[in-house]
Amino acid sequence: MTLTVRDLHVAFETRGGRVNALRGVNLSVAPGETLGIVGESGSGKSVTAQAIMGLIDLPGRIEAGSITWNGKSLLEGDGYGTSVWGREISMIFQDPMTSLNPLMTIGAQICEVLTQHLGMTAEQARERAVDLLAAVGISGPRRRVDQYPHEFSGGMRQRAMIAMSIACNPKVLIADEPTTALDVTVQAQILDLLAELQSGLGLAIILITHDLGTVAGLCQRVAVMYSGRIVESQSVDAIFERPQHPYTQGLLRSTPRLDEPATRLLSIEGTPPSLMQADDGCAFRKRCPIAADACKEMPPLVTEGAVQIACHFPGRPAWQARQAG
Amino acid sequence: MTLPPTLSVENLTVSYPVRAGTFWRPPTFLTAVDEVTFAIAPGETLGLVGESGSGKTTVGRAVMRRVNTSAGRIFFRGEEITQMEGEPLRKLRARMQLVLQDPYTSLNPRMRIADIVAEPLLVHGRVKNTSEARDHVRALLDLVGMPADAHLRYPHSFSGGQRQRVGIARALALEPDLIVADEPVSALDVSVQAQVVNLLQDIQQRMGLSYLFIAHDLSVVRHISHRIAIMYAGRIVEIAPRERVFAAPVHPYTKTLLSAVPIPDPKIQRTRKRLIPLGEPVDLANPPPGCRFQTRCAFATDQCRVTSPPLLERSKGHVAACWNF
Repeated sequence: MTLTVRDLHVAFETRGGRVNALRGVNLSVAPGETLGIVGESGSGKSVTAQAIMGLIDLPGRIEAGSITWNGKSLLEGDGYGTSVWGREISMIFQDPMTSLNPLMTIGAQICEVLTQHLGMTAEQARERAVDLLAAVGISGPRRRVDQYPHEFSGGMRQRAMIAMSIACNPKVLIADEPTTALDVTVQAQILDLLAELQSGLGLAIILITHDLGTVAGLCQRVAVMYSGRIVESQSVDAIFERPQHPYTQGLLRSTPRLDEPATRLLSIEGTPPSLMQADDGCAFRKRCPIAADACKEMPPLVTEGAVQIACHFPGRPAWQARQAG
Repeated sequence: MTLPPTLSVENLTVSYPVRAGTFWRPPTFLTAVDEVTFAIAPGETLGLVGESGSGKTTVGRAVMRRVNTSAGRIFFRGEEITQMEGEPLRKLRARMQLVLQDPYTSLNPRMRIADIVAEPLLVHGRVKNTSEARDHVRALLDLVGMPADAHLRYPHSFSGGQRQRVGIARALALEPDLIVADEPVSALDVSVQAQVVNLLQDIQQRMGLSYLFIAHDLSVVRHISHRIAIMYAGRIVEIAPRERVFAAPVHPYTKTLLSAVPIPDPKIQRTRKRLIPLGEPVDLANPPPGCRFQTRCAFATDQCRVTSPPLLERSKGHVAACWNF
């Protein structure tokens, strides 16, 4: 039961030119595993999720690569994808307000999933919807099931979205910035819920986020994306202790931490390159303090044991040790 | 000689009408800000932190005189401005400027960068046309670290971080005494966030202006603020010098908030004890009696449910509003 993505390329043809959103993404998730995909805006983390869910639509196109579930391709037009999406692999989105239909009760929206995908009768679906709401920690589910999204708080709406996404007993749950729109105290509760579901249902979770703090608590493995590629993938402990790629190192040192003295914040100079400019070199080299001539050539993603890294100088410290003051 | 505070606010209250009255029914109001008191010294940064709906943005808008206050008084450099109107208000507005959250929507896409930055100078009659302001605009763009050719380009050709720099240059054009920055880095990527926070700090050191820095992210606020005020449901629950907030928080809400902020370190994050607020967020149209946090507080007593706690001094410069701590 593994989900495997190999050498995935996605491009969008826009009026301004061709945007190469994904340029060779490789990843896999095993049952019960939580994979964090971390990256800044435009790094391709959401496009990766959309591609896995079959949501890439014109002007976007999957140009090359494969996505397989249990060894079978999701991209062939034989209907295998449609039988998996929404059932064995499901997704929750960032903004629970815009992903719920404001004109339907929460219960009706969950029941729709159950009757469509599992062929339940209306009564069965309603009972199951109540159970699901209880399972995601919504108190008074019998009353709540008949309420509309506007009667739910932001955190409760996200809980309802999660209830809907686990309705068909998925094996893989893709969560695209599930807590970004929520307050910190609510965010903590939603992350706890995801952790509970993961251990309770044996779910594999792909957590997509820009926030390293979110990743630290929930994930076992972390993949860091930059400009349409995975630049580093390691176990969560290793990535925070021994980041190999200069970008990962830079991201970690620029993330403000509550448990360290409030010194001047450190940043990575410059901005990510435009995805329209085709470039054969390492995308990070213009911001990288240790870039050399070799970096004009794209470093391949090299696997060594549990570590994957795409850098000509892996493990070399790119920045001076953090200074106080 | 001591200078008066750049901004001071006494018992500021702002109510919005949520339902118009009729002949039989009086109008209903929502009190977004309830008796808020604070002061900002020259050259000081006050961080104003709260979750969505806490009233932090309304405080910012009220001190800029963009919404009408229902009660309380606002002083700018010792002069009362609560009811100021007409020409004096226009003049006042030149001395307090706003930096907004979203650099994608706060810059007019049809205006060149030079015109955007020169606009406040034109509006306030400092220059007659854009070309007269050219040198000033160039100096400002240079100050915020924009490339030399930026002034003739349009906002779309810049990244989020650079656009925010333009927003800051525009705010600085009239050399204000106070900048209200409402979530100025929330829409930016981590590695760029640090650049903008550092820029704001450098500018403060050079020009000696004051900031009211409104944000929900404690780990960012901590880096830029001299003092931090925590808001909950329209009231300030605690104000303290920044390190006191983190070392010795008094109010249960402050503690809850601090414990919920994720720390980017898996070892710490996995074992951290978190305080989870009870129940559901407060309905501002129908707030509970007594302390606003009592419905969510694990320590609430009968006194908390009846009488609202006053802000009392706990140590030098550290005030908190709680009966139990």
